Parts: sequence; C-alpha cells; structure tokens
Amino acid sequence: MIFKIAFKNIWRNKLRSWTVIMAISLGIFGGLAVISTATGLSDMRQNNAIRTYVSHIQVHDSTYLKYSGLNDVITQEKAILSFVKKHPNTEGVSTRLRIESFIQTAGGTSGVILNGINPEDEKQVTNIAEKLQQGNFLETYKRKPPILISKKLATKLNAKIKTTIQCSFTDANGLPATGVFKVVDIFSTSNSMYDEVNAFVRLEDLQAISSIYGSHEIAITIKDEEQVESFREELIAHFPEQHIASWRGIAPELGYADKMMDLVMSIFLVIIMLALAFGIVNTMLMAVLERKKELGMLISVGMNKRKVFWMIVWESIFLSLIAGPLGIIASYLAIQFFGTYGIDLSFAADGLRSVGLESVIFPTLNTNYYILISILVVSTSILSCIYPALKALKLNPAETLRTA
Amino acid sequence: MIQANNIHKTYNDGKVQVHALRGIDVEIKEGEFTAIVGPSGSGKTTLLNIIGGLDAPTLGEVHIGDTNIAQLSENELIDFRLNHIGFVFQSYNLIPVLTAKENVEFLMLLQKRDEAERNERTTKLLKAVGLEDQINKKPNEMSGGQQQRVAVARALASKPDFVLADEPTANLDSKSTANLLDIMLRLNDEENITFVFSTHDQRVIDRAKRVITVEDGKILSDETK
Ligand SMILES: Nc1ncnc2c1ncn2[C@@H]1O[C@H](COP(=O)(O)OP(=O)(O)O)[C@@H](O)[C@H]1O
Ligand SMILES: [Mg+2]
Repeated sequence: MIFKIAFKNIWRNKLRSWTVIMAISLGIFGGLAVISTATGLSDMRQNNAIRTYVSHIQVHDSTYLKYSGLNDVITQEKAILSFVKKHPNTEGVSTRLRIESFIQTAGGTSGVILNGINPEDEKQVTNIAEKLQQGNFLETYKRKPPILISKKLATKLNAKIKTTIQCSFTDANGLPATGVFKVVDIFSTSNSMYDEVNAFVRLEDLQAISSIYGSHEIAITIKDEEQVESFREELIAHFPEQHIASWRGIAPELGYADKMMDLVMSIFLVIIMLALAFGIVNTMLMAVLERKKELGMLISVGMNKRKVFWMIVWESIFLSLIAGPLGIIASYLAIQFFGTYGIDLSFAADGLRSVGLESVIFPTLNTNYYILISILVVSTSILSCIYPALKALKLNPAETLRTA
Repeated sequence: MIQANNIHKTYNDGKVQVHALRGIDVEIKEGEFTAIVGPSGSGKTTLLNIIGGLDAPTLGEVHIGDTNIAQLSENELIDFRLNHIGFVFQSYNLIPVLTAKENVEFLMLLQKRDEAERNERTTKLLKAVGLEDQINKKPNEMSGGQQQRVAVARALASKPDFVLADEPTANLDSKSTANLLDIMLRLNDEENITFVFSTHDQRVIDRAKRVITVEDGKILSDETK
C-alpha cells in the first residue's frame, strides 16, 4: 500500500516529476558520454602508440638493454621466432637490427637509430607503412639501398625524397663503417620524439654494412589484447634468458594516462551524483511542503512515522528507478552507435593530430561503469531524500491541519 | 468513555499568550451524539485535538478508557489513534491518489487486517454512507458531500471507540449537510457509534443529542436532550 501510494504520488505533479526524471537521466547521459568519449580518446592514444612504435611485446637480449652493445643480438632468435609464429594468438612479429648512427646530407647532420627491418614483417606489427607520403615502404628502389626518414628529420637534414644520405657508425669489429642510402619515402607518426631519432632501412642492407647477422629486437603484436600479459609470461617461461617486456613496461606513460582518466571519471561521477542529490532534495522537499496537510492528516489518523518516512523514500526511489534506466539506456544506445560509427571531428583534425589523436573518436565504456552508475544513482537518491523525509516526520499534525 | 479533567491550553504565539482553553472538564460516554458548539475562536478545535491525542494540554489530563494518553510515547499515541479514534476533518480528509474504496481500506491495511475482512467492511461502510456506486472514484471526482461521507466511512473502518469530527459540515451545502447528519445519526442509532463533533451551524446543533457550548475556552453550558 505504501508502495502504491508512493508510486501514485509521483504522478500528482507530472511536470515536476518529469522535469526531475529528465534532469537525472540527462545528468547520467552527459556524464557517461564524457566518460566514454574520454575513454575512447585514451584508448585511441594507447592504440596509436602500440600500433606505431611500441607493439604489444618486445624481446631483447638482457645485456643489450644495459649497454646497447652492437654484438648483443638476441641469441635465441630462431627459436623465439618459430615459437611466436606457431602461437595461435600471434598477429605479427618483426625482427629489428638497431644501430646508433651519425647521419649526414649535404644540408645537415644528426644522430639517429637505424632500424634494419623486413618491410613485410614490420607491416604486420606497426603501421609506419600507412604513415608514408608516397606509400613506398622500402619496397621500390634502384641501385642505392633505400632509407625512410621522418618528416621532422627531413626538415632538420634539409632532405627530400631521392636525397642521398650517408650513415656512419662503428661495426661489430669496432671498425668504422659507412653506408650510403637514398631516401625513398618520408613518414610521420603521432610521436614527434620517436620520429626525430628513428630511421628505417632494409634488414639485409644494414646487416651487410655492419657485419652483424642477427637482430636486437623482436616486436610482437597479438590478436587478443587482453592476453598480452599471459602471452608475455608464456614467452618468459620458454626463454628465461631474454628480456621480455609488454607495452605497459615499455611505455609506462600510457598507463599513467589511464590513472588520470580514472581520476577525471571519479570527479565527473561526483558531479553527476551531486546534481542528482540536489534535484531529489529539491523535489522531495517541495513535495513534502506542498502536502503538509495531507501528511498531517495521515499522521493524525494513525499512519506511523516509519511508514510516512518510507513513503517519501519510496517516492524518490521510484523517481530514480525511472530516471536511472532511462539515462543508462540512452547512454548505452548512444555509446553503441558512436562506438561503431565514430564521432567525426574532422573539422578539428589538425589540432587532434598534433596531440597524437585521429579525427574520428570511438567512445567506449566498460560494463562496470554502467553497474557502478546504477548503484550510485539509487543510493544517492535514497540518501538525498532522507532530509525531506525527516522534514515530513517533524510535522505536527494539529498544526498542519489548522493552517487553512 | 472519554474523560477530560481541568484541561488548559495556552499557545505561545510570539510574545502574546493565547489561552485557548481555561479549565475544561468533560466526560463523554459510549453511544453519545455530542455537538461542541461555540463561536469561531472559542476553542472547539483545540478541545477536539486534545481529546483526540493530536495535541497535548498545557495542564490537565485526558483518559480514554483506561489509558492516560499523556503517558503514551509518540509512536504509541499514533497507534492508539489508529485503533481507538476515528477522525473526520473539515477538509483534506482523503488521500487524493486513492479511490473511495482504497481510502476506506487504508486504515485497515495499517491495522494489518486480512483481505476478506477489509473487503467486507469496506463494502458495508460505503453502502452505509450511500456510496456503493462510487467505490472506484477518486476524491476529486466526487462532490464535497460525498467526500465527507467517504471520510466518515474511513473513520469507522478501523472500528474506533468513537469518532471525532471537527466541523465536518462547514464546507457543505444544506442538502449535503442534512444528508451527512442523517447518516451519522443512523450509525449512532443503529450501531451505537459515538460521535463528538464541533459545529457552529444551528441546523446541525438542532439534531445533536447533547450540546456542549464553549466560549473563551470555558464550558458555558452542557445540555442533554
Ligand atoms: N497554534 C496556535 N498558536 C496560537 N494561537 C492559536 C493556535 N491555535 C489556535 N489558537 C488560538 O486559540 C484560540 C482557539 O482556537 P480554536 O480552537 O481553533 O477555536 P475554534 O475551533 O473554536 O474556532 C483562538 O483564539 C486561536 O486564535
Ligand atoms: Mg475550529
């Protein structure tokens, strides 16, 4: 009966109830929209980093990481490659020979890491191939061995496509070595620091010049991102002598961004809940004051205060039970839709690219957030109707009935 | 039986003290049909509120049956009202979102009576007040007279010892007033229901069996016809 009266009471002032319901659901919608867009952005940043230069897992020789010795190639390269290639969860694997080198053109000099790669393999792991001006990923060249440099480096060296570049370093035997390459294409990723110090050449060219017939780095991407850590553990178990790291270890700053996101989301949730609380307190207070006489009559004829209290509490629970699902369903639909089709922000594309983002954002939200929001909405509405409900209990029946 | 002894009530209205009741002694027995009359401001509502346990006297005691109601806690007093006293007010008697039937049933639900008893009693009471064809109407779909009749039925639903009605006919036209009085008198005659009601309407006073006149918070006269 208390339920029934409470439920019917909500509809006595339809306009007000709907206003509150809409306000609450809009609040939930707005909050979840911001959170899911921010999550989408953060995911995109993370994915961009993984796809352009971090990859999911990297393998190095343990000593190479400490001293960057040219001779510290990965000793178990063949075994690792065959293991990884056989693994059902492997998406791509690329071996790299990395040599610090001094490079110069007629127009300038710089220090750079030459990455000797196999273009076909590298394409499976990173998307540098998609970031080229002309799409020549070291595949087409004439006599001189090809090199890819970044736009940033090109500016510094005053180089263009077809510019000849000379690279000098110390080879495996401690002797000076020099290679002459021709720029065949220019890339640019979203990470300018990375761009500045990395250049790509063909693995066999670099091996020939340096006389190092091996590689320093194996980069792996896997199909199911959730299993990065278990994949890594599997690798460690098989190849305990190698240094094997996942993207979280290689680029911890990507994880810090996640922590920041959590903070931002908590702040947003607090704001949503405060708005919700304010709405409920306001509405229920009005509902109580407006119905003073009726509440006084109910207490007079024998409805005890506990029941009066629960009647008010149920009224606000009903309000939030209508508003909560409404807001959550609307958010869910919107997030599903935009998560699939993306939010096109191409009008701001330049700005976004400069901070490592693309112009189409795909919002996404963890299911836990929906559950969290539902629990928060209901508990906030219960908490915030306590004050109005206590107000109702303080009513003196004789007084309320008297005032005409 | 209601016994009120030496009832004083003083309101502190800001700086001014209002002596609404100044020493009232009254005894009301089962089966009475008593009108409390007097001009506006004489203390009728205050007296009924104190007898009904809605307000506490500044001085004096009210006994209902064997109970000194001053000794009940707030919650006990609410339960006592539920089980022993029926109330009819001048207005705002009914829960607007419920039908006539549900309004009558309401107190029995609070009393946790079973469904069969509730249904039987609701039907009987609504019939007794002549509203058997209005059971599913909401208060705002009924006339003022009909609403007061539902209120009388509601007051009786909890099987109270007596019914207190503060100016129950004040908002009614003469036809509805006569009709409500007919019903109350019949219930008094046939079912021995005790009614105590306040009024300043002469036509209502004429039909009371006992008339207590108050003025300035004192009993001026007390006549039983
Ligand atoms: N809450 C209150 N505060 C101050 N004065 C009051 C209050 N309630 C009633 N009074 C005063 O007490 C007197 C009796 O009022 P009341 O019992 O309502 O009389 P009646 O019902 O006969 O019109 C009046 O003078 C009224 O103004
Ligand atoms: Mg009065």
